[in-house]
Amino acid sequence: MTQTTTESLERGSAADAATAKEATRRSRAMRGPFLQRYALVLLFAAVGLFFAVRLPDSFATVLNFRNIVGNQSVLAIVSIAAILPLIAGQFDLSIGSVLGLTTIATASALSRFSAPIWVAALVGIGLGAAVGAFNGFVIAKLGVNALITTLGVATVITGLISLYTNGLSILTGIPESLTNLGSGTWLGLPRTLYALAAVAVFAWYLLEHTPFGRYLHAVGSNPNAARLVGLDVDRIVIRSFVVSGALIGFGGVLEVARQGGGNPQTGNFFLMPALSAAFLGATSIHPGRFNVPGTIVSVFFLATTVSGLALSGVDNWVESVFNGAALAIAVGLSTYLGRRHAG
Amino acid sequence: MGPDAVATSEPGGARDVVLRVVRVSKTFPGTVALKDVSLELQRGEVHALVGTNGSGKSTLIKVLAGVCAADPGGEIEIGRRRFSASRFGPADAREGGLHFVHQAPAIFPMLSVAENLAIGRGFEMRPGGRIAWAEQRERAKRVIARFHIRAEPDIPVGFLRPADRTLVAIARALQDQEGEHEGVLVLDEPTASLPGPEVERLLEALRRYAAAGQTIVYVTHRLEEVLRVSDRVTALRDGRVVDTVATRSIDELGLVSLIVGRAVDAPAPVSRSGAPSVGAALLVARNVAGGPVASASFEVARGEILGIAGLLGCGASEVLRMLFGDAPISSGELTLDAKPYRPQSARAAMDAGLAYVPADRAADAAFHGMSVRANLSAAGVRRYFRGMRLRHAVEKGEAGAAIRRFLIRAASDEQVLSTLSGGNQQKVVLARWLRDTPKLILLDEPTQGVDVHARAEIHDALRKAAAEGTASVVVTSDFRELAHLCDRVLVMVQGRIVGEVRPPALDAHRLTELAHFTPETAP
Repeated sequence: MTQTTTESLERGSAADAATAKEATRRSRAMRGPFLQRYALVLLFAAVGLFFAVRLPDSFATVLNFRNIVGNQSVLAIVSIAAILPLIAGQFDLSIGSVLGLTTIATASALSRFSAPIWVAALVGIGLGAAVGAFNGFVIAKLGVNALITTLGVATVITGLISLYTNGLSILTGIPESLTNLGSGTWLGLPRTLYALAAVAVFAWYLLEHTPFGRYLHAVGSNPNAARLVGLDVDRIVIRSFVVSGALIGFGGVLEVARQGGGNPQTGNFFLMPALSAAFLGATSIHPGRFNVPGTIVSVFFLATTVSGLALSGVDNWVESVFNGAALAIAVGLSTYLGRRHAG
Repeated sequence: MGPDAVATSEPGGARDVVLRVVRVSKTFPGTVALKDVSLELQRGEVHALVGTNGSGKSTLIKVLAGVCAADPGGEIEIGRRRFSASRFGPADAREGGLHFVHQAPAIFPMLSVAENLAIGRGFEMRPGGRIAWAEQRERAKRVIARFHIRAEPDIPVGFLRPADRTLVAIARALQDQEGEHEGVLVLDEPTASLPGPEVERLLEALRRYAAAGQTIVYVTHRLEEVLRVSDRVTALRDGRVVDTVATRSIDELGLVSLIVGRAVDAPAPVSRSGAPSVGAALLVARNVAGGPVASASFEVARGEILGIAGLLGCGASEVLRMLFGDAPISSGELTLDAKPYRPQSARAAMDAGLAYVPADRAADAAFHGMSVRANLSAAGVRRYFRGMRLRHAVEKGEAGAAIRRFLIRAASDEQVLSTLSGGNQQKVVLARWLRDTPKLILLDEPTQGVDVHARAEIHDALRKAAAEGTASVVVTSDFRELAHLCDRVLVMVQGRIVGEVRPPALDAHRLTELAHFTPETAP
């Protein structure tokens, strides 16, 4: 009798050990091997090295480096903003036009109303948050599909920008203190990079170190279960759009600083690259999950590659094709990894 | 020659056998689901199939549908064709004219009746790949008339009454029978989610089809429907046919005896005079109603494990959701700790000290792509947010403690939930709530799809929680589990609590008996 009990106990614990071992193996596979997590970083380094060797006089210069970093900071901010609703399971196709809108609004506040910089900045950020609130409300409370809602809002905003500006850029009356921020450097690095760093740290803090970030992941993972652990799913979705909109608004202010004005066409160039970066970002650092560092790496990887190609004398159309292909591959890869991740 | 031919072709003449099941068995590893089951279906009869969960009804239906191969040896005979039961496939079932309509029929609510009838069958076409809408509508009209459906061809099916939706599904299944009423219609719990008057209407329609010569197999838990609609009834128990009897020769008591396998008494009415144990009651519900719950009155004591037994659609799951603030309460009173309690959301219920483990883990409880740790903290992340940041180390420590305490087999707290076995996922969901010692935990099918070992561990966890003062309300269709786990079990039938069973009378048989009786609709 005692014999049997001991035996079955031993068998039980052996089975447990086997299960645990199997679980360890599967867990490692799930978090992704090192190579998968840093594949994009390595690819980035390889591409950079390749162009640096091939084009030592044009690509591998301080000027080009500053150019890429300066130009891409706003895109990186928009990409980071885009992942907030994406984590909560919602698409936002209005990110580009909201950037355009907040750029024009900020430039107009400075130029036509001679507002102080901080007021103009608040106008841009506030307007971004307001559009986000509208999107979030329609999607969460009225239950309208996010793609349709944000596509509609984007189209309306594009029209309104056109109405307000007559298609003309706002170029006068932008204070020099703001444009200095856009073009100058601190410690040899473009000042916009510091702004990007601030946004990145903020978003990373929000996603990884506050309950709100956890709630976003929970809602994106399973809204029913989120409701049944006491989360207010609608409010969380709305907030994700509001914070995202405010960050884009901040990006809009920075865009005014960089351009020294407001160009009504600005928004058109941001949607696809930002989504490409967000999805490509979900394939690295933390595969299967939208994440801030991955998104930043993706932005600069795409920009560096495009810059290298352009400096190699490749035709203009290549950039479009490259960005489009990157988006398609990134979406496919991150969906695949996400599925593997979720079993 | 002559008289013979007349006798067989004449409807309503000598009843011919449409389908015969001969000595069919089905063994699953470890259990015998069907043992030497034989059954005959006569043309134009409504043949009811009754039995408890696990009696073999579902397996028999699956064998007939050809989706589950029986053990070698048995036979299925349709008309003059004989099949070996072990090789009877879905194509054979279709060719033999067997049609299955399930509890939630596969209809498309946004499409019209005509479109629903055409889907899967094919539309009336014109050359060039265009749908011939006029012909389509005409055909739909004929089918609607033939099956007595209250509808027009162009109305979206979602706008129809629930019973008519089921009839559309039935019509779609039967519309192409060559003769008016060839083949066999198998209905699996068709009324489980239908409200009262709709049930009436469906049964009426079924009687009419049968009178016209349609053979129907009717699978249900609801014995009063069996008595009203069927001609004969076959009872299954533990995989064997107990008996096949003519319905008019049996009553509800007799049916329950067949199902349970022993003589039974009519249930004693619930004693309401018993003074409530004042002070000990944690939760008191008085005439709580809403949705399918007509009226529920009960008490839950501190540290008690209370079960609610009931059949599919009885409303027990909704009682849990109402208590957790996730389903509307239309009337009645609830008190928790002697204070009025009326939760408007899950959050409010949680703040009051309640916890809820839903029946469908994948859809309602699991965060699949997230770590075990994040899943454990899902109901209370906020507590780790101190000094403006999440204390990941504290969270990790507590997750590790929960993993050990609830015997969760995971490599680490970082492991993604969906890579755990079902039993371990369920333990994570349970641990999410139990580690905070809630006042009351509501559990819907807490061990569904969980292996025996994990099930025992889950039971242990609930008993330990009870010892610490946590009360549990457990709803499950596994009456053996209720009898084994609970201190006391309420029986719910059609939205009402009709009885209460305590030890020593508490066993699965007693619960089955009570759950099958129709309540007298008390005012």
